[in-house]
Amino acid sequence: MMPEIVIDKEKCTTPFECKKCLQICPQAVFMVLPTGMHTFRENEPEEYKLLAVFRDKCVFCNDCVEVCPVGAIQVKIILGGGE
Amino acid sequence: MGDIMLELDERYGEGSFWYLNPKNYCRPMYKKPKEEREEYGIGMAGLEETAIEGMKSIIDTKDEDPEGFKSEMEGLSATMIEMAPGQVIPLEDAKKVVDIAQPLVKIDCICRRMTRATLEEEDCRSCLGIGLGMFRWEMVPERYKGGAEFISPEEAKKFLEFWNKKGMVHTIMTFGKTIEGAPYIGGVCNCDYPDCIDIRFRNDYGIKSLMKGEYVAKVDYDKCSGCGTCVKRCQFGAIKKEVTTNKANIDMFSCFGCGLCKETCPESAIELVERNSFPALRDEW
Repeated sequence: MMPEIVIDKEKCTTPFECKKCLQICPQAVFMVLPTGMHTFRENEPEEYKLLAVFRDKCVFCNDCVEVCPVGAIQVKIILGGGE
Repeated sequence: MGDIMLELDERYGEGSFWYLNPKNYCRPMYKKPKEEREEYGIGMAGLEETAIEGMKSIIDTKDEDPEGFKSEMEGLSATMIEMAPGQVIPLEDAKKVVDIAQPLVKIDCICRRMTRATLEEEDCRSCLGIGLGMFRWEMVPERYKGGAEFISPEEAKKFLEFWNKKGMVHTIMTFGKTIEGAPYIGGVCNCDYPDCIDIRFRNDYGIKSLMKGEYVAKVDYDKCSGCGTCVKRCQFGAIKKEVTTNKANIDMFSCFGCGLCKETCPESAIELVERNSFPALRDEW
């Protein structure tokens, strides 16, 4: 059983600076990647994206949902077997 | 597939392990094929992103298609081996590497930055970049965020000891192959599960982007006092304390040969033995 982790990119704009979900997750499910690289300058805070890469390791603790200051993360439990 | 490391040692080790041959750190080895440089661009940023996004898309299929997931992971593992994997090395070998490879540069851990968004300040940089590529670090400040500090072999040894004491596993980090087909050695990492991507890939998904080391740990039962210090240090779940005998027990098939247990043992009861001296472990990489 794997949760669906939805990240609202409209709300989560500066994941590298915020880093709350990345650091609280007991299973280290998330990763933050630069969306590109430049010569002779660092990325702007907006030039990162948050990904729930290892979501098969998620234990539904909901810590990330609670810690997110902008409410950008949703963890949905999908129960198998239909209705 | 099990022969990959033996082949590597045979071809590039010249009688020793591949990472202990000074030839593998000299200038021609640092030339990458031209197409590859163009494909990945600055600081190989594209490579990272492609790898992680690829990994994510495979994990996404785990529920609906477990069989497909399994074979995709096996495929990825084979690709990683093809591209030249990293390898776990014990502290002694890491110290030998810093003696033969130059320059040595303390940098931020790239994995930890991606998994925990940690920015390591001057006193806690945990990665050691090696080779001529480090002279170009200023070009891509994003890659070396927090700066890069050039250090001497002596300082590098102290640095490795420091992180070893903290419980980090040393690994040889590679970035694909050079034009001569040898692995492109990028540095010596100090790794920790789960924030190290290579250890995570290997432990959780069986992807051989990180190979086991050239050694395995063996307990001397006469010396072992059963204190259990080593158990806490193993990142690969290879050590357990046997209840009835009150001794540490190491599963040599699971052992990666990092030697953390050996370094921490107060009785010096653990030794590292060459993997190849055990016929059954020769194919265990």
